[in-house]
Amino acid sequence: MRGPARTVLALVLAVSIAAAALPLQAARQLPAPEKLVLKNGLTVYHFRNADVPLVSFRLFLGGAGSAAEPASAEGVAGLAAALLMKGTSKMDADAVAEALDFMGASFGIGAAEEYAQVYADSLAEHFPRLLEIAAAVLTDPAFSADEFEKERALRIDGLKAAKDNPGMAIRYYFQKAYFGGHPMGHLASGTEASLRQMTVQTVKDFYRKQYRPDRAVAAVVGDIDRDALVGLLEKTLGRMANPSGPAPAAALPALPRPAGKKLILIDKPDATQAYFSLGAPGYAMGDKITAAASGMNTLFGGRFTSWLNTELRIKRGLTYGASSSARNWAVGGITVLSSYTKNDKIGEMLDIVFDLLRKAKDGFGAEETESARNYILGQFPPSLETNASKAGAYARLAFYKRGFDEYDKYLGEIGRLTPEDLKAAAARLLPLEDFVLVVVGKAAEIKPLLAKFGTWQEKRITDPDF
Amino acid sequence: MRKRSWLLAAALAVLSLSLPAAFKKEDVRVHSLDNGLKILLLEDHNIPSVALYTFFRVGSRNERPGLTGVSHFIEHMMFNGTPGIGPGEFDRRMEFQGGRNNAYTADDMTAYTDWFPPAALESMIAMEADRIQGLAFVPEVFESERGVIASERRLGVDNDNDALLAETVRATAIMAHPYHWDVIGWMSDILSWRRDEVMAYYRTYYAPNNAVLVVAGDIDPVRTLELIRKYYGPVKASPPPPPVSTVEPPQLGTKTVVMRKEAQTPSFTAVWHGPSAKDPDFLPLSILAKPLLEGESSRLYRRLVREEELAIDVGGGIGETIDPHLFMIDVKPRPGADLDRIDRVIEEELAKVRKDGITPQEYDKAMNIIRTDFYQGLQTVAGKANQLGATELVFGDFAKLFSIMDDYAAVKVERVKEAAGKYLIETNKTVGKLIPEGGAQ
Repeated sequence: MRGPARTVLALVLAVSIAAAALPLQAARQLPAPEKLVLKNGLTVYHFRNADVPLVSFRLFLGGAGSAAEPASAEGVAGLAAALLMKGTSKMDADAVAEALDFMGASFGIGAAEEYAQVYADSLAEHFPRLLEIAAAVLTDPAFSADEFEKERALRIDGLKAAKDNPGMAIRYYFQKAYFGGHPMGHLASGTEASLRQMTVQTVKDFYRKQYRPDRAVAAVVGDIDRDALVGLLEKTLGRMANPSGPAPAAALPALPRPAGKKLILIDKPDATQAYFSLGAPGYAMGDKITAAASGMNTLFGGRFTSWLNTELRIKRGLTYGASSSARNWAVGGITVLSSYTKNDKIGEMLDIVFDLLRKAKDGFGAEETESARNYILGQFPPSLETNASKAGAYARLAFYKRGFDEYDKYLGEIGRLTPEDLKAAAARLLPLEDFVLVVVGKAAEIKPLLAKFGTWQEKRITDPDF
Repeated sequence: MRKRSWLLAAALAVLSLSLPAAFKKEDVRVHSLDNGLKILLLEDHNIPSVALYTFFRVGSRNERPGLTGVSHFIEHMMFNGTPGIGPGEFDRRMEFQGGRNNAYTADDMTAYTDWFPPAALESMIAMEADRIQGLAFVPEVFESERGVIASERRLGVDNDNDALLAETVRATAIMAHPYHWDVIGWMSDILSWRRDEVMAYYRTYYAPNNAVLVVAGDIDPVRTLELIRKYYGPVKASPPPPPVSTVEPPQLGTKTVVMRKEAQTPSFTAVWHGPSAKDPDFLPLSILAKPLLEGESSRLYRRLVREEELAIDVGGGIGETIDPHLFMIDVKPRPGADLDRIDRVIEEELAKVRKDGITPQEYDKAMNIIRTDFYQGLQTVAGKANQLGATELVFGDFAKLFSIMDDYAAVKVERVKEAAGKYLIETNKTVGKLIPEGGAQ
């Protein structure tokens, strides 16, 4: 493979992929869905596509993500999502797994920051059964003590395994370094310490409080017609009940803004390559800078010929890939730059990164601006080609209270972007003085190369947690 | 379990089971030019986008010691300039017109994958035809790209213990055939490829008679063929590349690899020599891989992850390759897990399969998984282009894509047991363990 925008983003920023691929794009290509409202208040958007005999389902559960966790229960959102799959009062975990695997279906529940997401894709003939299982695990989870212990042990071991792969580990270190004690700093995986002090009751409490249809929205796209779907939904997701009382407040405190440079070095003595992530404040979902930011990021670090990849990979061969990306939430966002190189080149790499950040303040040319516009417009249609991507777009837009014409507006703005727009986006979003920079690598070799950038806090990768 | 990116796309390519009505063999227009270029065209106006996939019959299978990894290196150099188009210009022009690309190299093939708006079609065909007629191999660019590959290897293998073990186990299991080395190549070869040798390799394999061009999506097939004729027609055919003649000798006893490395968690993998994609034993083993390894209900996930809590994850299976490759079981062990115990559990489960095969329920499950994966892969024009091209490369005929489902359905459940008894046996096995040393808590 040769593409940083593909491979590297997939590794480094898995959680943000949906947001990155569809910042707020799409157009007439996203056909208007039909809105269905179940008796329990759950809204489901439906669009029929009979081209292939497949159906995709997406459910966003607001407030069931990691940012809603109590500070003492970091990781409970992810643990609850995983444990939902581990049995109901009528089916044990093995029976749930067997039923799902038998259909060849893909089904999962995962915790993002502001929501938990249920995804389910199957052949149309299996979809009724799949939705029945989805409803069973969402409304009648067993949360058995035995499964809790198993899942917790698995997660603790998974965290250790992640530390053997610096490209993976840096994600955890960066999230902690950037957000600190803010709820957005909660690792969806939890930490070893937080997981050890959790009980099955913590999980049950989180589920009871946070899984509720009045904050959820769903979408179904594929080979299923409306009438069949309505009956099916009422019988299944219609069973989700709202807890008594109003939903807990979902508002988060404002995101932290780095003041000055926060530099953190993680020593991994056997690493032959040093990895960096540099982050600074970005923008919230729906911010009016969105189109300009996409244009700017495309040129700065969002595609193969971007400035970052051109200088670090194409011209100098320092790395397999270098990129920048935006992560956006309702509460705000961040801009993240990342790459990696041989230990002895990390100083040179960071010098170039800072040169480019300074240069971006002078803005972008008319021809590259045109190229960015063409690129975003040209690459947009495949982003909504599948049932799953359409279902995800409906649910995401509805969850963030954006209209389904959001992408039309976005693409319209993209088509009108000027170099001045991009310059303004760079001025606001690319950091020079105030940022968080995390490096994972072999300290004995790279420390002297990093000294010129300032004073580094040091940790060893074998120290507990992140 | 994570696979390495440069292997992934092709390995996933070719499954089936009754096709969507919207996609039939008759929809694919097949043409050949006098110079041997094979062309597959598929008109599909679902979205205003075109997928242009070019497949070359060259991969790490065609390499030799000293030139390991060179197929993948050429994949990179294809973007670094020709006599007519400067280094990096391919990407700049393509992105300016709203296009994006990637490429992958596998054991058996190299594929170039372009996605772009319909208006860019002529320009893309012209640039693709240009770069099979000679590359610049500018010395400074050559050296810079060598550094990129070294970084890719450090990322994908040297700093990833599972991948490092997998590479060593593969090289231990396969002694003679060029599948011995991984697609990325050995680091010492990466650091010493010579320009003249790389150019000779390119000239041998990059020719119209060694390529398949697939264009799918929002196209007019008549005009598309005209454009292909215009730009590819004048390209000369080359002498056919030399055949790969090495045959892996039979293995006569279990081989064991033990690696020691700084780590917090061990790694474990076991492999058995398997059949090629065209071998009648391939489908039964491919079916077996589903109930044995895929999903949390699979036999080995249940035993190793859920019941005995020895592992974090289990994966593996068999890929479709031209020559016989490996059936693999990859296990991510827990920190401190007893690796010999993992090995024994695998042996116990394989013994059951050799004795009793799989249940009818497991057989149906395998078919459902295969069918679903297949449809998922055909949801996009890019997916269709990839399946058509990869099938043509591995099976010699894209039409296999439209019948392989029937072939799967025709496999009797007893054949799974027979195939397990023939391949998944001790004498055919290589087992690898990476044991953490130092550094751990």
